[in-house]
Amino acid sequence: MGGSEERVVAVIMVGGPTKGTRFRPLSLNTPKPLFPLAGQPMVNHPISACKRIPNLAQIYLIGFYEEREFALFVSSISNELRVPVRYLKEDKPHGSAGGLYNFRDQIMEESPSHIFLLNCDVCCSFPLAEMLEAHMSYRGMGTILVIKVSPESANQFGELVADPVTNELLHYTEKPETFVRVSDRINCGVYIFTPDIFTAIQGVSSQRKDRATLRRVSSFEALQPANRSLPSDFVRLDQDILSPLAGKKQFYVYETTDYWEQIKTPGMSLKCSGLYLAQFRRTSPDLLASGDGTKNAAISGNVYIHPSAKVHPTAKIGPNASISANARIGAGVRLVNCIILDDVEIKENAVVIHAIVGWKSSIGRWSRVQASGDHNAKLGVTILGESVTVEDEVVVINSIVLPNKTMNVSVQEEIIL
Amino acid sequence: MKALILVGGFGTRLRPLTLSVPKPLVDFANKPMILHQIEALKAIGVTEVVLAINYQPEVMLNFLKDFEAKLEIKITCSQETEPLGTAGPLALARDKLIDKSGEPFFVLNSDVISEYPLREMIEFHKSHGGEASIMVTKVDEPSKYGVVVTEESTGKVERFVEKPKLFVGNKINAGIYLLNPSVLDRIQLRPTSIEKEVFPEIAAEGKLYAMVLPGFWMDIGQPRDYITGLRLYLDSLRKKASPKLAAGTHIIGNVLVDETAKIGEGCLIGPDVAIGPGCVVEPGVRLSRCTVMRGVRIKKHACISSSIIGWHSTVGQWARVENMTILGEDVHVCDEIYSNGGVVLPHKEIKSSILKPEIVM
Repeated sequence: MGGSEERVVAVIMVGGPTKGTRFRPLSLNTPKPLFPLAGQPMVNHPISACKRIPNLAQIYLIGFYEEREFALFVSSISNELRVPVRYLKEDKPHGSAGGLYNFRDQIMEESPSHIFLLNCDVCCSFPLAEMLEAHMSYRGMGTILVIKVSPESANQFGELVADPVTNELLHYTEKPETFVRVSDRINCGVYIFTPDIFTAIQGVSSQRKDRATLRRVSSFEALQPANRSLPSDFVRLDQDILSPLAGKKQFYVYETTDYWEQIKTPGMSLKCSGLYLAQFRRTSPDLLASGDGTKNAAISGNVYIHPSAKVHPTAKIGPNASISANARIGAGVRLVNCIILDDVEIKENAVVIHAIVGWKSSIGRWSRVQASGDHNAKLGVTILGESVTVEDEVVVINSIVLPNKTMNVSVQEEIIL
Repeated sequence: MKALILVGGFGTRLRPLTLSVPKPLVDFANKPMILHQIEALKAIGVTEVVLAINYQPEVMLNFLKDFEAKLEIKITCSQETEPLGTAGPLALARDKLIDKSGEPFFVLNSDVISEYPLREMIEFHKSHGGEASIMVTKVDEPSKYGVVVTEESTGKVERFVEKPKLFVGNKINAGIYLLNPSVLDRIQLRPTSIEKEVFPEIAAEGKLYAMVLPGFWMDIGQPRDYITGLRLYLDSLRKKASPKLAAGTHIIGNVLVDETAKIGEGCLIGPDVAIGPGCVVEPGVRLSRCTVMRGVRIKKHACISSSIIGWHSTVGQWARVENMTILGEDVHVCDEIYSNGGVVLPHKEIKSSILKPEIVM
């Protein structure tokens, strides 16, 4: 266990610009993986979690963004966290497993014994060291992080069944059609593999290539709908690897009882920022702000304030507020459950509740930016894009405002283009 | 002779189209908006055009190099670091606009399309001998705008009235000016409004004259006016018997079709349609009152009216798209879908019908 040759590599899938339209308008100006949650870029959280893996040799970020969008981030995070991080750009979609396979040469450069695969838009505690230990005891090809969810929410996810004693993955299907679910556990999108995963992926590719050749020979085969249009190098982890190999003593599960969410929309990013702030309270409370309204602003609950932000002592901040670099929070301002991005100015006596205020925006005096706080609803969290101005005394409720707009009249339940 | 085109800011009213390109480069009648103005200026002998911009200069500059070469006219940018209003940019571009010739220079607003009777404007300016000339246009609802009150016979401007509650006149500022260099001495390099500060001052001295713009005029800065503007523009092409208009049994009214576009059998196109370069209109398609931008494919039996289809989008078979539907770049409407006023941001797929006007992000 943990010998000096047991190097581990982590791969984080960060996605790409045209795939992330659900994160608009925040993704119009910034790549989603770099959007800050609890004061740190989204991708920082899994990267920091990777630091806890014993013998971690390298972290790879794989995505469709241009290299230059990640160049600065990658060099600064490598320096800051003292861990080598590299960004690899995919040239075309290969599917979740195909992407891993596409870069197998780089990933296997240091001959790692284990490879973690994480999705950047997953918010959880990333118990990676514990997963590694569990995986090594199971001795399978891979171990999947799973979590129990309520029966109602389970319906949105694939059906996953595991043996309660051996933890072997017995059955896995993407979004089944039948109503009767036997399992309340779901796939968290965090995996650990041994290098034979590459063999399994290659197997799927070759099989598909052979079937394509066969189809050309037999006209009956040509009528089969399954996988007709998928190129041979497009391999999906769930449908093409986990489903067929479930029940063959290849894959196992490790259950987490902590929190888990997917960060698909701006509303969810606010919820996840709160989850990470709560995590900081447990693991690194000195990252959080404190104050009682005398010398510093009154702080309630979990609040992050960047050291360069200026907050007036008569403001009251929190719970669940995150204030980014160079923001200026004026006298008498009230902030609840919100993310205030870089260079924002919030003038005196303004109120922001259940909202995300975009970079360089300006919130006027006595204005009110708020929402119902339903993180799942389309307009449940008010989102102001980059450089939005809300004039004095204007109210913006349950709305989304695209960048560079000036709100000089109050609105409710609207999308302002 | 020189000219300044006020390009201004973010073009948010023309979103989602302006999420893909800056507003002056959004195509109108199969040509970038700003090219209409640059060509009109070139036609009367303007040798240098200055674009006053404050957004995405890199994208603009790339396109401009293309136009510069093709049109043989010098195009430069004057970039505002803070918004300077409608007059400030003139002060910023001062050195580019004044030369030893002392000639007047044109100022155009980039959102406007019209006949651009610039030669007539030069004649008008010489004949009255004042310091500044502006084009005015007659509108049905003058109270929505700023009205210019003039002396009937000479066109001398008496005063400007913003959004008047009582009828004082029905001519508004059309956003086309011809100014003597001395006007620049009246403008400081700070946010300044030409209608509210500079022109009233010149009018008070009796040196501002207005010419009624012959022909059509439209501010195409927002989708509804863009569609109306296309109708007016194509109508003016018809009046000039322009060979650019399409003809054929499948064409109704005024229609512009780029020579590289393909139209299938059994289609009915028009009135008031513009089809851009590389478009494919499959058989059995009905198009009316719409703009189809570069690289769009309209699949069989689809029906589109009063809409704008953005670059490289596709509209599925039997789809019905109408009532101010605006599709951004690379939007794909699936087969049999109905869109009633959907406004769709770039890179989306529409898999379910949009029954009432809605923004799809």
